[in-house]
Amino acid sequence: MIARQFNAAGIAAFRAFLAECRTDPTRTVPQTLLVDPAFSDPTATPVEVNPQEFKARQAAADYLHRVLAPLPDTDLLINAGLWTWLSLYYFDQVCPSNMGIREVTNDYSYVFEPKNQRHFYRHLLFIAWRVKNISPSHCRLFLSPPVSVLDGVTTEVMKRLYLTRIPCIFEVLDRLYWDSSRARARPGIVGSKVKAGDLVHRLPIRIRQLEVTYDLNSLSAQQLISLLGAEFQTETG
Amino acid sequence: MIKRVNFTGRRRIPRSKVELQLFDGSPRRFSANIQFEVNAFPGDAEVVLEATSAGSTIVERIPCGTIDDLLQPNLRELRHVDGENVFFTLKVIDRHEQIGRLLGVAEQLRPERSGEASTGGRRGILPIEPAELGQEVWRLEFTDHDVLLQVNAKLIELKDRVRSDAMLYAIIYPDVIRRVIRAAIFENVDVEEDSERWSVLWLRFGKDLHPLHSNPPSAGDTSELIDEWIDEVAVAFCNQHRLFDEYQKSLALQVGGEQ
Repeated sequence: MIARQFNAAGIAAFRAFLAECRTDPTRTVPQTLLVDPAFSDPTATPVEVNPQEFKARQAAADYLHRVLAPLPDTDLLINAGLWTWLSLYYFDQVCPSNMGIREVTNDYSYVFEPKNQRHFYRHLLFIAWRVKNISPSHCRLFLSPPVSVLDGVTTEVMKRLYLTRIPCIFEVLDRLYWDSSRARARPGIVGSKVKAGDLVHRLPIRIRQLEVTYDLNSLSAQQLISLLGAEFQTETG
Repeated sequence: MIKRVNFTGRRRIPRSKVELQLFDGSPRRFSANIQFEVNAFPGDAEVVLEATSAGSTIVERIPCGTIDDLLQPNLRELRHVDGENVFFTLKVIDRHEQIGRLLGVAEQLRPERSGEASTGGRRGILPIEPAELGQEVWRLEFTDHDVLLQVNAKLIELKDRVRSDAMLYAIIYPDVIRRVIRAAIFENVDVEEDSERWSVLWLRFGKDLHPLHSNPPSAGDTSELIDEWIDEVAVAFCNQHRLFDEYQKSLALQVGGEQ
């Protein structure tokens, strides 16, 4: 079908459904909300979407990039109505039903809030598109988890603007933390215990130290890894 | 706690050496006038301006040549930064001895306002922004570059009332001051540094308000010392603005108006 974008009433109705679904997890998804012109409008450029089964966030990222290609990035970065509509359209993917029961998490997982710095990256479909949009060649670290959950690696990176503003950071992260043998992030890099060269504790501190003395925005991944120091060289193996 | 150490002798470029003007329109444009002191940096050092906006992951780099061959941006388009609250960083970068080393930097440069419609002009120490807050009426939002007082966008007049309504002001601001200054102390910055980093501005504000104008405590000081300094600043703020008196006056007006 041709994708639509919720208006304010559509977003409010979807939020109401989410609230009801938390109380009654067996509640039926309101499919009519997707097409009711009182709640949504067509996108500026028509975009065709079809039912999908996203085995992992990678599949969602690939698909969304393909079908949303006619829309400019500048629109996709702020289009709350479209991303929220897509959440409802793919609700079985972002909030799967298990034995007829759905576990609805916070609204921001499904309702896109582009201006909220603590919430925008938590939208499950937007973030799949966004990481591939920022770094098409080095985003696998963020794309192996299921589309229905926000993992620690994605959260810890995307919430830190000063990290995502560094052009080479995604290649650096890929080289430091991707475990090729298991095709997923290295274990323990976002744990609560501080580990040498870990992602959640040591990397942010080290980047904050380096940014006052180096122009990180002009460095290659190799140059930045060299500057990070010995504890990170071990991680690259 | 992050210790911000200057390992490589980087110089802070005085803000007075950089003039920036932002022109609204589509696309937005800006002009810069950058002046370096003689022999402050090697002639072949690269000069770059970086533009970004609050909350954006996009940093637009604008090459400005070298120290000896400076290219001043003149009505240069900002092609990628489309958010409000644009700010710039000026960098002087070593391209000779050690690739990527910062020789000089001026951060948090906010452009001068150009025309009434500008969205990028100078702002106060606590910008107020409408935001989708659900059932919350207001909240403080700390970002990498700013601290904002967000007010619920659905309460249309609240943005103006927060500044002008004596009762709201008296209720909200003392607590805001306590919380922001505490957060600023733990940013571990130098109150004397030439910077518009929010934490520096707030600590300077606190020092000016403090009855003895004493320097703020550091993050490593005891919690008692930190609490005491913050309290003294908050009380000084209340005294300076006579918040209790203004609250009572406003209350009396409201009660009188209802009768």
